[in-house]
Amino acid sequence: MRQDFIKFPLHLIVHPFDSFWDMKYEGKGKLRVTLTILLLVVISMILKNQFAGFLVNYNDPRQLNSITQLFTVIFPFFLWCLSNWAITTLMDGEGKFKEIMMATGYALVPIVIIYTPMVVASRFMAEEETAFYYLMMSVASIWFIALLFVGIMTVHQYTVLKTIVTMLLTVVVMGIVVFLGTLVLSMIQQITEFFINIYRELIFRT
Amino acid sequence: MIAKKWLLAGTMASLLLSCAAPAPVNAEAVPYESYNYNYWEEAVPAPAAYIPDRTLTGKDLGVGDFLDPADMVVADSGLIYIVDTGNARIICLDSSWKVDKVITGFDNAGKEETFKNPSGLYVNDEGNLFVADTDNGRIVVLSPEGELLRLIEQPESDILPADFKFIPVKVTVDQAERVYVIAKGIFEGIMQFDENGVFIGYVGTNKVKRDYTEYIWRMFSTKAQKAQMALFVPTEFSNIDVDDKGFLYATNIDPGSKEPVKRLNPSGEDVLKRFGYFDVLGDIRYRISVGPSKFTDIKVLPNGMYSALDANQGKVFTYNDEGDLLYVYGGKGNQTGTFKIPAAIEYAGGSQLVLDRGKGNIVIFKPTRFGSIVNEAAGYHYNGEDAQAVPVWKEVLKLNANYDIAYIGIGKSLLMEKNNKEAMKYFKLGMDRDGYSVAFKRYRREVMQEHFGTFLTSVMLLVVLWIVYRIFGFWRKKRQSRASRQAPHNHKEGNAHEAGFH
Repeated sequence: MRQDFIKFPLHLIVHPFDSFWDMKYEGKGKLRVTLTILLLVVISMILKNQFAGFLVNYNDPRQLNSITQLFTVIFPFFLWCLSNWAITTLMDGEGKFKEIMMATGYALVPIVIIYTPMVVASRFMAEEETAFYYLMMSVASIWFIALLFVGIMTVHQYTVLKTIVTMLLTVVVMGIVVFLGTLVLSMIQQITEFFINIYRELIFRT
Repeated sequence: MIAKKWLLAGTMASLLLSCAAPAPVNAEAVPYESYNYNYWEEAVPAPAAYIPDRTLTGKDLGVGDFLDPADMVVADSGLIYIVDTGNARIICLDSSWKVDKVITGFDNAGKEETFKNPSGLYVNDEGNLFVADTDNGRIVVLSPEGELLRLIEQPESDILPADFKFIPVKVTVDQAERVYVIAKGIFEGIMQFDENGVFIGYVGTNKVKRDYTEYIWRMFSTKAQKAQMALFVPTEFSNIDVDDKGFLYATNIDPGSKEPVKRLNPSGEDVLKRFGYFDVLGDIRYRISVGPSKFTDIKVLPNGMYSALDANQGKVFTYNDEGDLLYVYGGKGNQTGTFKIPAAIEYAGGSQLVLDRGKGNIVIFKPTRFGSIVNEAAGYHYNGEDAQAVPVWKEVLKLNANYDIAYIGIGKSLLMEKNNKEAMKYFKLGMDRDGYSVAFKRYRREVMQEHFGTFLTSVMLLVVLWIVYRIFGFWRKKRQSRASRQAPHNHKEGNAHEAGFH
C-alpha cells in the first residue's frame, strides 16, 4: 500500500526513466493509484482556485464550480489517453491503453505535490513575492510535461523525435475527437428530433 | 385586556417597523439608469448622483429659441455664456438665469461685423471672450463689455500647407494667454497660438495605431481598392478644456481608441492618470449596435475631477484625478434629463449644466446626497486629507455598498493610520491588490515581530522533545535486543531470528 501509493510515485518523479521502465516491465504501476492521483489533481485544482491568496487569485468567486473543475481535469485526461492510444497504435507504439493511462497519471504527481503547498504559501505572500508562486506553478507544469514525455517515450519504446511528433499529433487527434464528438452529438440530436417529429405527425394526423 | 395589550403592541411594532424601513435613496425617479462598473466589468446599479432640476430654453429666457447651440461656458464671475450657433449670437446670462446681454456682433475699426456659425467659446480669468467664429475663419477676442480686443486670423507658417484654410471649432486659453484651437481638417493636433495670436505649433497629436488586420487586408488589395479604403489618419480632437495648472484636457472621437480623454502637459504629452480598474473611455461594455462612447465635451471640475460628455448615448461620465469612474448619469430620450444631441457640459456652483443641441435647451442637474458626498470625499482624497474622507466614504457606503472606490479610500486612510489588518479587509473589498499587498506586508511584519519569541520557544521545545524521543527510542531498542539475546530459547527459532534482526 505504502509502496504503491507513496514510495513509487515519489521515486518516479525524480527517476522517471527507471521508474517508467519498472512500471511497464516489472508491473509496478497500479491503475487505482493513477485514479487516486487524478482525484488529487482535481482536488488541488479546486483548492488552488478557491483558496489561493488574494494577490494571486484572479478568479471570480461567484463563478467557481467544483463540478466544472472536475470535468476540466478528467475529460482532457481521458481524451489525451484515448488520442495517444489511437495514434500510437498506428505508429508502432508498444504501450497498452492501461500503460498510457498510468504514464499520464503518474506524470501528474508534481502538480499535486507543488500546487497544494503553494496555495498555502501564497496566502502569506506580498505582491513582490508572488513571482515565486508563479515560478513554482511553471515548474510544476514543466515537470509534468517532462515526465509525460519520458513516460510516453518509455511506454511506447520510441525515440526522442518520434515521441515529440507523437505528442503533437496526439493534440491534433484530441481536436479531431472533439470535433467528431460534437458532430455525432448534433446528428443524434437531429435524428431524434426527426423521429419525434414523425411521431407527432402521426399522432396529430390519426 | 391581554388581547388589547397584544393588539397595541402589534400596532406599535408595525408602526416602528414601517418607520424604521429606510427611505429609498433614489426616491426621485430619474429617466435614466445610474450604474457604475465593478471590478468584474459588470454594470452594477448605483444611486443617481445627479438628477435633472429644470430645463431652460431660449423662449424661457425671452430671447427666442436657440438654433443648434454648440457651446456653453460658465465664467469665473458666474456669468453663463451660450453660443447660439444657428442664430450667430452669444447669450450672456447672470447667475440667476436672467439674460444679461446678447452679443450679436462687434465693432471692428468702425465696421459693424457679425459672427458666422460660431461654435466655440472660452472665457478667461479677466472675463475676455474668445469666440471661435468658425465660418469666418477667425478667433474673435472680445472684452467683457463686447468690444473687440483683437482677432486671430488665418495663421501663416512654414509647417502649414499652402492651401490651408483655418476653420476653428473649439477654443481654450491657458493662464499664459496661449490660445489653443481645435480646427476642422487638422489632424496634426491642437493648434497653439501665443498671446499675440502668432501660430506656434501643434500640441498633443493623436497617435495612429497600426491596425494589423487592415494591414494584411491591404496586402491583398489592388490599387483601386486601396484608394477606396480609409487612410490611417489620426483623428481630430473634439473638445478641450484647461485646468488651473495649465494642463489641457482633450477629447477625441477615434472609435477604436483606448485613450479618448487626454491630459496634455505644456509639452504636449499625455499625463492623464489611469489608475482605475478600467481605461478612461466611458462605457466599457456596450452593445455593438450602439458602439463605444464618443466624447464631445469635457469639463474640469474642482479637486482634479472631470466630467466627459458622451454624445453617443447622452451620458456624463465623471472621473476623479486618478481615473476612477465616480458616477454616470444621463441618457438619450425625450424626457427631462435625457438628451437628443448633447453638445456641451458645464459646472456652476455644484450643479452641472448640459447644453442639448438637438432640443435647443439647457438641462440643469443638481447633485443628490449620494453625488454630493462622493464629490466631497473625492475632494478630501485629492487634497490628501484621507482621514477626513473616511466618515464621508462610510456615508457613501451606506448609500451604495457596491462603491469600490469608497472601500479603497477607507483602506488608504487606515493604511496611513497603520491599522493594517483593517486596511487589508477594505482593500480586499475594493479589490485593490496593490494596496492590499502593502497592508499585508506590514501586517505580516507586525505579527512576526509580535510572535517571534513564542515561535522560537516552540521550535526549541520541539527540538528538545525530538532529542528526548530519540534517546528514549535508542534506549528501548538496546534493552529489547538485550532481552531477545537473553531469552532465545523461549521462542521458536524463526521468531527469535526475526526479533533479533529487525
